[in-house]
Amino acid sequence: MSLLPITRPVVLAEDFGALVFENVDLTLYDVFAHAVKNGPGLIQGRTFKGCRIQGPAIILASDGVTFRETNFGDSRGDIRNLVMKPLGDKAIGTVPMRDCAFIGCEFYGVGFTGTDEFIAQIVALPNTI
Amino acid sequence: MNDTTQTPMSAEEKFGRELVARTTFEKEAVWLPSLAVHHMNAGQTFIEGKTFTECLIEGPAVMAVMNGTHFDTCNMGVAENPKTLLLDPRGDMIAGVIGMSNCQFIRCRFVQVAFTGAREMLDGVEKDLLGARGAAAQA
Repeated sequence: MSLLPITRPVVLAEDFGALVFENVDLTLYDVFAHAVKNGPGLIQGRTFKGCRIQGPAIILASDGVTFRETNFGDSRGDIRNLVMKPLGDKAIGTVPMRDCAFIGCEFYGVGFTGTDEFIAQIVALPNTI
Repeated sequence: MNDTTQTPMSAEEKFGRELVARTTFEKEAVWLPSLAVHHMNAGQTFIEGKTFTECLIEGPAVMAVMNGTHFDTCNMGVAENPKTLLLDPRGDMIAGVIGMSNCQFIRCRFVQVAFTGAREMLDGVEKDLLGARGAAAQA
């Protein structure tokens, strides 16, 4: 059975330090702010399942970030509108993520960046809306 | 007779509406993602017509620099390579960024904020940052 679209009522996440977020809705910067305050300054080792994830934010997808049955958001007819390429060797202003899994999630107002290989994978996806 | 049909506004909603209505920010810390979310909640897809003077502008955020937005004597952030502060959109539109139009930043300091926009803007910001670094080295 498909996990998308998410049709349940809104349920706001309360514990932004959780390792597993399941069937909750959250703004990404709340999770990041919690991670910065309590750890290494990146979102690491989390699983998001059945979540609505709101920006504004640009996710820097590092090693071990996986997406399954995920709606990357409204691409306005061109999937390239969801991705950005850093011009330097770092990506300041982004939300770095490592070893995170997104399963059956929907993104709202979120863009993505990463290695050239990652960007190419996103661009190769079919347009969402 | 009192109208009892309206739901009272929560403190958070009241704070958000007041924040969106403000046009000047002075000598204060501004968390850009929060400011953007309050504008979105108010139905405004970008931030327009605000002046920030001697503020600390905090991310993480990628700011789309739109028409009429200017930076006057600002510290744009710590980066050896100015290009690190810039992201290049792959499409004609940009998801996940915070659009700012007709905003003035005067003697502000940016932390964890990157910038994007039209190609000409990216070239201009890079040139300004290189110029600022050269001036600092000569001082």
